[in-house]
Parts: sequence; C-alpha cells; structure tokens
Amino acid sequence: MSAMIDWWKRTARAQVWAVLLLDLFVLVLWAAGGFGSLWWIWVWLPTGLLVGWAWWAGRPVSPLARHVGQVSLIGLFLIGVWMASGFGDFWPVWPIAALAFVTGLRAVTRRQQSDTRVEELTHRRAGAVEVAESQLRRIERDLHDGAQARLVALGMNLGLAEQQLDKDPEKAQEHLAEARVSAAAALQELRDLARGIHPPILADRGLEAAIDALAAHAGVPVSVDVELASRPPDTVETAAYFVAAEGLANALKHARASRIDIDVHEREGGVVVRVLDDGHGGASEADGGLHGLRQRVEAQDGTLRIASPEGGPTVIEAVLPCAR
Amino acid sequence: MRAVIAEDLALLRDGLTRLLRDNEIEVVASVGDGDALVHAVLRERPDIAIVDIRMPPTFRDEGLRAALALRERVPETAVLIISQYVEETYARELLADGGGGVGYLLKDRVMDVRTFVEAVRRVADGGTALDPEVVAHFVGRRDDRLAALTPRENEVLALMAEGRSNASIAEALVLTVGAVEKHVASILQKLRLPPSEETHRRVLAVLAYLDSSS
Repeated sequence: MSAMIDWWKRTARAQVWAVLLLDLFVLVLWAAGGFGSLWWIWVWLPTGLLVGWAWWAGRPVSPLARHVGQVSLIGLFLIGVWMASGFGDFWPVWPIAALAFVTGLRAVTRRQQSDTRVEELTHRRAGAVEVAESQLRRIERDLHDGAQARLVALGMNLGLAEQQLDKDPEKAQEHLAEARVSAAAALQELRDLARGIHPPILADRGLEAAIDALAAHAGVPVSVDVELASRPPDTVETAAYFVAAEGLANALKHARASRIDIDVHEREGGVVVRVLDDGHGGASEADGGLHGLRQRVEAQDGTLRIASPEGGPTVIEAVLPCAR
Repeated sequence: MRAVIAEDLALLRDGLTRLLRDNEIEVVASVGDGDALVHAVLRERPDIAIVDIRMPPTFRDEGLRAALALRERVPETAVLIISQYVEETYARELLADGGGGVGYLLKDRVMDVRTFVEAVRRVADGGTALDPEVVAHFVGRRDDRLAALTPRENEVLALMAEGRSNASIAEALVLTVGAVEKHVASILQKLRLPPSEETHRRVLAVLAYLDSSS
C-alpha cells in the first residue's frame, strides 16, 4: 500500500500532464463531432478538481491556506456541476457550508495541538541546552583540576631535572621519576574523562557490549538483555547507554540493590531501556543524576518514567524515538 | 628481533620506533591503518606486530580486527595491542584461541620503558602481557570457578594474567620461586585445566580468569 502511495507521489507531475492531455483530447473529439452539446464539461470538471487538488497539495503554504484552497476548489467544482446541470436551485451552498465548518474546526484544534507541542519542545530544548552546558562546565573543571595541573607539575619536574642534570644527577633522576608519575596520572584522568563523555566500546561494538562492560564492574549480579534488530542512530544509542549507566549507578549507590535487570528492546520504531532493581526504592530526581538523565532523554523527544516507591523495587524506563 | 608498528598518529609512531630501536629491536615497517598492517606483516614476517586499536578509516577497533585476522593467517607472528583504553571484551577476544604470543597494554605503559620492552620481548617469545588495568577489574570478584582459590592464589593468578613469569611473580609477592610454582600448580589443578604445555595452560588459566566476568 505504501509503495503505491509512494508511486502516486513520485509521478504527480506526470499525472497532471496526462490529465491536461486527456482534457485537450476530449476537446478535439468534441470539435471533430461538430461542436454538439457541451458534454466535455463532465470530463473537465472532475479532472480539473484532480489537477487543482494536486497543485494545492504541492504548495509550500501554511496548513490554513491549504485548507482554504482545497475547500474553495471543491466549492468551485460543485458550482461547476450546478451550472453544467442547468442552474436551478442553488444546492451547492449546503455541502460548501458543511465543509467549511468541519475544516475550520479542524484547523482550530490543530492549532491548539501545535501550540502545546511548541511549548513542550521549548521546554525540552531549554533542558537540552542546560544539560549540555553543565556537562561542558564539568569537563572544563575536570580538565583544569586534573590533567592540566598534572601537566604543569610534569613540566616543572622536567625543568628541575634539566637544571640539575650536571650538578646532581641523582636528584635529576628523582625529578624525572616524578614527571613520569604525573604523566601517568594525567593520562588516567583523561581516560576517565573520555569514557564519561562517550565510552569507546559503545562506538566500537554497540549497546550490548557497552552495557555488558558496565555490568561486569557492578559488583552485584546484573542481567543484561539487549534485543535490537539493528544498531539505532548514534544519538539514540548514546542516550540509551547513559540511561543504563545512570540507572545502574543509582541502583548501586542509593538503593543498595542485590540484583539488577537491564532490558533494552525495540518498540514502535523506538528503543526502550528499562533498569529494574530490588533495592529499597525512594529514588528521587533531586539528587541531580536522574534529573540530568530526564533532561537528556527529553532532549531527544523521549520520555522517562521513574517508579520507586519506598521499600522498592525501582523501575527506570526510557522510551527513545528513532527518527530514521 | 624484528617488529612492525601500526599506529596512525605520527608522533607516537616515531616515538615508539625510537624507543624500540634504542632497545635493539629492529622496526622493519611502520604503518597507519589495519590493511597496511596485514600487508606489512605478510611481506615482512616480523616476530611481533605492535598495533594501536583505533585507526583509520572508521577510528573504532580496526587495529583489533586486523590483529585477530593476523592471528589466524600468520599465527607465528606475535601481536601486542596498545591502546588509550582497555576493555575486558577485547582481552578475551585476543586470548580466545588459547595460544600465546598476545598482549594488550595501555599506551601509558611505554613510559616505563624497561617493563614495556620486557613485555614486547615476552610476547614475541610466545608469552602474554595483559595490562594490570584489565586484570584489576577482576580482582576480588566472586565467582564459582575462582571461589576455590585462596587469596594468595588469587594474587598469583592476577600476576599470571599480566603475563609475568614465576620469577617475576616471586619478586612482586616476596616469595620464593618454589612457593610460586606450588601456587601455580594448585591454581591450574583447581581450575581443572587439561594437562598440556606450560605456556598454553597459563593462557587458559588467564582465560578462565577473564571469563569469570561473563
């Protein structure tokens, strides 16, 4: 069915030309037949409606303008029919009025829906900007206090070693050893930072391998079940990973869980990530981690549901749409 | 000893070449991607290939994939993977065939030149070298197969996993070589590894160690 619709859309221009040609042909037939009754009008009216409809559908205009255009088109068609059938009682007024009423009503409700959607998207975009901003601030702080400071120390130790190389080779060697320790620490900090931004194994091997790696370090039994027919788009994959990571961290840190289930599957063209733990519940978004997670998920037009009654269990479920 | 280096960053490639040459290891080719690595190894038949995981064109794990392909096609060439990050999954894949002559180290380890060169020589000789960072993730993990090991045997197994010799383990734990040998024998027996050549059994023990996570 959708293939047929596709074909219909693809060949729209050719269809219009075919219809116009048909109209011309009918006119030629009529002329050849000695200009008798105006029967061609009954071919022109419906084909004219079709061509006009296709023309309006292809216009990049607002939905309201399109509605008005299409209602006018049908109105003109009906008036044409009325005229061709010998005038008489002006019956087209009733269908035109009904059509205008229904279309008007639809336009109003559509407008309301789109207003709500705009409000929601504005809110989500603000959340996305905030989450990106706070991540950048955290990265800047980590670099400043971590790797940058280590590199300063390293440079200083190298300078000292250089200075004392001739006078006191033993002292110089000590400084060199310290420089090496600083370099190793800086590398470790940069590696942790990089992993927090985007774990390499996620890009290399996808969600299942990345979540397995998370689970292996959890210290409590974690069952991981990932069922995806293919790899989702990068942004969805990353968001899904962080839902699993944050859910896991939450279960381990706050809920003192002894068993955690992570389940990732497809639903209606989107990806659903569910983290379930048997801890004591009471998870709240006030602690920041889950709040950041909600912003991250909503920034991608997804939804996050957290159910965590006192005493447990806790379920964190994110639905992330995949616009392919 | 002859080595091929695969590393796409010229700065590190040149540094590594110099480090190896200073330690009497001949660098017969240095390349910048996985395909070039396979060609270079097939052409040069080096003792060891030292390979970065992340290389062009996709900058994912092509180095590892090329290394695994080499293990199959040229098993006599040892492979040492170096990377900015370590993943247990990759370590497991590298060791999966149960043969020796493989290593997986963080690039950081080149800073300790002596230990790094030792690891290169050990891997080229058919041994193993696993980064302490990979090994550390497993320490203290409770698992049925490893539950039978005593704490001391666990320590010995962790050092075995890094690829250390009995002498080196003895030095690290302040034990006699004889005591280490006894621990090793006990570990191999408790893990119920089939009797075979010593290096092979050690690799199997490490694999059992890594598998305990999955």
